[in-house]
Amino acid sequence: MTERRTTRSKRVWIVALTLALALFIAACGEEKDEEPAGGGGGESAAAGEDCGKVVLNEQAWAGSTANTYIAKAVLEDKLGCEVEITKITEIPVFQAMADGKVDAVLEDWQHVDEYEQYIDKAGTVVQGGPLGVEGHIGWFIPQYLMEENPELKTWKGLKGNEEMFQTAESGDQGMFLGGDPSYVQKDKELIKALDLNFKHVTAGAEPAQVARWSQLYKQQEPVIFYWYTPQFLNQQYDLAEVKLPPRTEANKDCKDDSKSGGDPEQYNCEYDITIINKLFSKKFAESGSPAYDVLKKMKLTNEDQELVAKAIAGDKEDPDEAGQKWVEDNADKVDAWLQ
Amino acid sequence: VAVASGRVAAPAFAAPAARWRGRPAQVGAIVALMLIGFVLMRDEFPWPASLTWQALPERLDDFQTWLLEERTAEDPNFIFAVFDGFRAFAEWLVTAFNDALLWLTWPGVIAAAVLIVLRFGGWRAALVVAGAFASFALMGLWEESIQTLALMTAAVLLSLAIGVPIGVIAGRNDRFHRAITPALDVMQIVPAFAYLMPVVILFSVGPAAAVICTMIYAIPPAVRITALGIRGVTADSVEASRAFGATTAQTLFKVQLPLARRQLLLSVNQTIMFALSLVVIAGLIGGRGLGDVVTNGLYSNAALALLAGIAIVIMAIALDRATAAIAERTDPARAHLTDEGRRRARRATLATFGGIVLIVLIAKALGAQDIYPDEFETATSVYTATIEDTLLGWIQDALDYVQDPSSFIFGITEPIGNFMLEYLLEPLRIVLMETPWFVILAGLTAIAYVLSGVRPAITTFVMLDAIGVIGVWEPAMDTASQVLVATAMAVALGLVIGIWAAESPRVERLLRPLLDTLQTLPQLVYIIPFIYLMPVSRIPGVVASVLYAVPVVIRLVTSGLRNVSAEAVEAASAFGASRWQVLAKVKVPLARDSIMLGVNQGIILVLAVVVIGGLVGSGALGDAVARGLQRNEFGEGVVASLAILALGIALDRVTQGRRAARERRSGRGPGGGWTLRRRQLQP
Repeated sequence: MTERRTTRSKRVWIVALTLALALFIAACGEEKDEEPAGGGGGESAAAGEDCGKVVLNEQAWAGSTANTYIAKAVLEDKLGCEVEITKITEIPVFQAMADGKVDAVLEDWQHVDEYEQYIDKAGTVVQGGPLGVEGHIGWFIPQYLMEENPELKTWKGLKGNEEMFQTAESGDQGMFLGGDPSYVQKDKELIKALDLNFKHVTAGAEPAQVARWSQLYKQQEPVIFYWYTPQFLNQQYDLAEVKLPPRTEANKDCKDDSKSGGDPEQYNCEYDITIINKLFSKKFAESGSPAYDVLKKMKLTNEDQELVAKAIAGDKEDPDEAGQKWVEDNADKVDAWLQ
Repeated sequence: VAVASGRVAAPAFAAPAARWRGRPAQVGAIVALMLIGFVLMRDEFPWPASLTWQALPERLDDFQTWLLEERTAEDPNFIFAVFDGFRAFAEWLVTAFNDALLWLTWPGVIAAAVLIVLRFGGWRAALVVAGAFASFALMGLWEESIQTLALMTAAVLLSLAIGVPIGVIAGRNDRFHRAITPALDVMQIVPAFAYLMPVVILFSVGPAAAVICTMIYAIPPAVRITALGIRGVTADSVEASRAFGATTAQTLFKVQLPLARRQLLLSVNQTIMFALSLVVIAGLIGGRGLGDVVTNGLYSNAALALLAGIAIVIMAIALDRATAAIAERTDPARAHLTDEGRRRARRATLATFGGIVLIVLIAKALGAQDIYPDEFETATSVYTATIEDTLLGWIQDALDYVQDPSSFIFGITEPIGNFMLEYLLEPLRIVLMETPWFVILAGLTAIAYVLSGVRPAITTFVMLDAIGVIGVWEPAMDTASQVLVATAMAVALGLVIGIWAAESPRVERLLRPLLDTLQTLPQLVYIIPFIYLMPVSRIPGVVASVLYAVPVVIRLVTSGLRNVSAEAVEAASAFGASRWQVLAKVKVPLARDSIMLGVNQGIILVLAVVVIGGLVGSGALGDAVARGLQRNEFGEGVVASLAILALGIALDRVTQGRRAARERRSGRGPGGGWTLRRRQLQP
């Protein structure tokens, strides 16, 4: 009896092991077969082999989705590349590029510390030149509020009017709704330097901040907040900007990022235009891939980017389709990148 | 939800405390003294700069830079070769699972999962698994679900490979157990956000980094439950095996491990649950899968983020039911089969695997795809194969309603939010932040002494000092005010619902899926509606913590009440006590340990959500931790995380009560009890 049991249990094991082995071998074999099949709708097989696989990183916000999928459409349809999109958050993606896991980031908002570390010191990441989109940060209010109170055109009009923005959480001060803590900002310092009676309230990540001000917007209540362009929501909500003290020769050392802290006075000016950069992994830049040349020449305007971002995030279009549609509609621009 | 909590909070919270061994008077006196301190010296004594280690964040930043430079150096230290080796291995493992799941084709995956669970877990669990895979397919999230499943499988296997042996040692050696407990606490409380960047530096982005982060969080429950299982084997069995001359190894493998089998399988189950709660974080560093969809969806398509969140919940529930059913089935008590039964079982196993192979082969022959397709094509037309768009439409409708400030529900929730802020959070925050630091320090230490004893009081004192020394006293007090309000609400709600569920099994049954959902749905997902409904600063964060903590409080209260001996209840009834009298005078007082454990666990779980709160405007420590990753302020982030840890330990000691203190001293308890989640709570 015992003997029979052993043989039987042995048999089960042998079957199980063979099965596992077969699955494993098949899985390995399959992998190799799949390689050339990549790349949706490539024009020719020859071009596909040239280009190979390109990894683009998409950031969380809609604008980044837009330019990433425009690039994807161009690389896939015009060069026959296989494009993979990763979604790694802003800071770790520098290490990803350094390790050659991500080839390109198309929208970087000037991460000065990381530039120093990865571009200047280690040289594992290289500058890819400006994307052409210009970032602009500022203090925004709803248009209806601006129409009722034209004096709010500049920050001086805010003085004495702060209680207009009072809410449950700001006490007897006005509420200033701060930006996503991960973004470049200096509003706490600006409020101090301009001697405004605002309480800086952090709403948290961007979706949470949008939830806060859009709710007040829909109620047609006053609200003032940190905001920026290009942003697809600017097409959905009618916003107006409050001018901050201009940058002049006198304050040309004025800083935008209060991360380093210090005297509020050194931040007392409007935010500078942010040149949005493309970044490449050094490996990719030196790989001789035709995709590199195209991405390097790629240029978008703020309108291009907002249009596609609105299609994706506002109208819930499929990002691939939205990207392809823009590429078809803007053949002249795309051709310039391909030369 | 919030309507009930607002009104009921005060009396319900006070009820168990009033009967709690006569100490409330002392605690009340201490609080009164602290308030006098607040009134007399308000805002005069912030934590002194001379007692602060100002350079700490900078040192930590230097450490990260050093790490980065070492990593990229020409000839890196050999230790990096070890990390690289592990990275390659983890990546290979995840890719192998992923490829294997794809190779099976989608009908094959469904067949394999359902048949295996059917064979080893029974038809109920198999039905749940079938439903889960069907919903991944219909949601149009098949590929993402497979990626997440592969990542989780690899992370869970590696966690068990490390956690179970450590747990076995800890189960056999009290001193070792005591020595590793603090490390396990740290691994579970320090938010993953804090160590994400160093992990990325060491292991790059991608599946390997995601696996590491998941392991850090999932190993502790594996260790703790395994240790608990080994300890649970009666001394008699061990003695008996020794008496028969068994060696230590024989005792372990032939007696202790087999007898602890159920606990071991439970630790698998819990490891899976914990691992799944890191899916979203894994998405931030290239873990792909459902986590990706959640984080990016939040910015551009909230409905899609919600849908992916629901898929995570479904996966968690399916894995939980499947592993629990398998654990139940392999109970040694049920394993005494006849020869005939054994033969039948073997045949069933063979049939199961044969069936899987057959289905895979047929699927391949028919040309089934790796991934469940978005549309089916026939010769004449194309059919949409998913109902993703319909689901997204529904979710979007719900979101639109929530986002409409003229809606009926907003008219109720907004004033509640404002009320909570003005009359609960703000006053408490001002008191905590503006009371002289030494008054808070002395007061909390005294309360810990009264409630829990000398050792917890010393620990509380040291932890609070540490918070001050690392320079985050003020934000820590801000966070503490939110934690206290959220815990009070969670306990109030948990008591009411828990008592209700204990009295009515039907309520308990109906609650179970809801509680499972609340425990596994990523907080970032369910927080979104609340940002719109209660658009005031710290409120959404508080709501998220209450929703996360309340299921555990409910389960502890329910199981505590159920465990009250039937004799006591019968005796009371015999003396003519009404149902309410039995409840108030017998059951609740007798279940007070369980209820206090509920308070204690509530605090710990609320602390676990502090970082999420930081992402939705709670400020203070959570904000600093989130910023640490997002703006690369590593030092500040780590300091804030340490403060969350210190705050957690301090509040745990203040509330743990005498019994837990006794258990901890004798090395019997599971440690602070951080791991307690639902299955352990059921008798």
